[in-house]
Amino acid sequence: MPRMNRSLKLLGIILLCALPAPIFIVIGASFNGGAYIQFPPESVSLRWYLEAFADPRWLDAFLTSFWMAAVTAIITTAVSFLTAYYVLRYAPRIASMLEIAIFSPLFFPHAAMGVALVALIAELGLLGRAPGIILAHLIVVLPFSYRPIYISLRSIDPDLMRAANVLGASEWRALKDIILPMCRSGILTSLLFSGIISFDEVTVTMFLIGPEITTLPVQIFTFIQDRASPVLAAISTISVIVTFLAVLILERVAGLAFFVQRDSSA
Amino acid sequence: MNTGEPFSPSKALMILPVLILLGLFFGSVIYLFSNAFTAGDGFSMKYFQQIIDRPDYIVVFIRTIIASVIVALLAVILSYPIALLLWRADKWRNMLLIIVLVPWLVSLVVRTYGWIVLLGTKGFINSMLIWIGVIEDPLSLMFNDLGVIIGLTHVLIPFAVISILSSLLQIENNLEEASRVLGAGPVQTFRYIVLPLSLPGAFTALIVIYLACIGAIVTPILLGGLSQKFVGSQIYQEVMYAFNMNKAAAWSICLLALSFLSLVILKKIERRVLRGQE
Repeated sequence: MPRMNRSLKLLGIILLCALPAPIFIVIGASFNGGAYIQFPPESVSLRWYLEAFADPRWLDAFLTSFWMAAVTAIITTAVSFLTAYYVLRYAPRIASMLEIAIFSPLFFPHAAMGVALVALIAELGLLGRAPGIILAHLIVVLPFSYRPIYISLRSIDPDLMRAANVLGASEWRALKDIILPMCRSGILTSLLFSGIISFDEVTVTMFLIGPEITTLPVQIFTFIQDRASPVLAAISTISVIVTFLAVLILERVAGLAFFVQRDSSA
Repeated sequence: MNTGEPFSPSKALMILPVLILLGLFFGSVIYLFSNAFTAGDGFSMKYFQQIIDRPDYIVVFIRTIIASVIVALLAVILSYPIALLLWRADKWRNMLLIIVLVPWLVSLVVRTYGWIVLLGTKGFINSMLIWIGVIEDPLSLMFNDLGVIIGLTHVLIPFAVISILSSLLQIENNLEEASRVLGAGPVQTFRYIVLPLSLPGAFTALIVIYLACIGAIVTPILLGGLSQKFVGSQIYQEVMYAFNMNKAAAWSICLLALSFLSLVILKKIERRVLRGQE
């Protein structure tokens, strides 16, 4: 491969470094001892972390976001797997139609989606309750979960399934011993990716919270509007660490190839 | 994995969950329409009339469209050097990809908060400039359109990088080599080989980013404030402060119509440009 033009390369490096810069600024600000975010920092301290941990509202919001992300990830991955398996094995003809339906929320402006879902979830009596928020998250993350599972299932050679059938394996046995292990990276990508999106979702979620329940990103949003205390920098840093760890785990267990794979059908 | 098995009704239960989810989504869209077009007992265009009658609301729409076009173009242009860098960095690609993915996946509020810390009157940039002595009074870098454009562009660049990179990775190595062997310089190779072949990814990014911008709520509210309204902040205000769900639904329908119209136009431009490249 020919080498890249040097000045273009330099520009690329500068722009690449600019991407995480605001996040590093937040992390830096979280260790600032002063009441304002200052430059140069007045002193280094952990006081904002102590303040964050002392306030039960933050811990509550964090735990709520965490368990809801886990539940969302597991349900959406199961739904996507069943769908992709059924479509590929029994109904390839409806594959493209179903795909359009599954991907359609992606082209739906988020603001409109929030208003649409708030009406529906209020009608179901789930406004301001965990099942309502999880339901909304399932709809939001479905396309991101379906795609990696569909791609990895499709790449499995159909002859393997036939061979298993011929050799007398039941469908369940073939699924358990052949399909699931071969689809492992797609399933793990779906779990982690949809979990991260649910953990960080704010635009739709903020319409659905109530006095009983709120999520971490929505609470950060509410607090920023109220007053920008450096305690937010400490909370944000914790949220960044969770996301960063999830991306690292994803890279370890499944690789990042799914993100840059171009799929003709998707 | 297509084995083309015969249809069996019991197995069809496997797609029931997804049909329920999609049914709820499309059901909510129907709700949206009925909320927007109903006043009292019957059909009414009242809420749309309320929007169209206000010149300041029209300004909100125009501001949203112009800012979204600027953000989408900026994001795609700024993404190219990053995508090219990642494309060429074979050994380091995974590590560099993490630098792109983490900012993309970190919560929108956190990234926007980062910009508040940077751009605010008592923020990092102003404090630094005052400390160095370049300026005496803080510059107003946020609570205006500039702040929103900076914030949205930064928030959406990672997606553009990923989209362009996935197109670049499909280019076969020998195409470039052939172009070089035939005597083309790096600029010509980029102009006639790399750029045209990466355009599908760039267009996907442009469309998705534009649509994300016109429907954005969080960044316009936090960096633009409530005086420089975007359609998203207007909808948020209608729901959260005015508790007027019908009007919010009418705004959402306008937003949907705007996205649909934009999508049609952008697709048309895409087709024309891609055809022109052949």
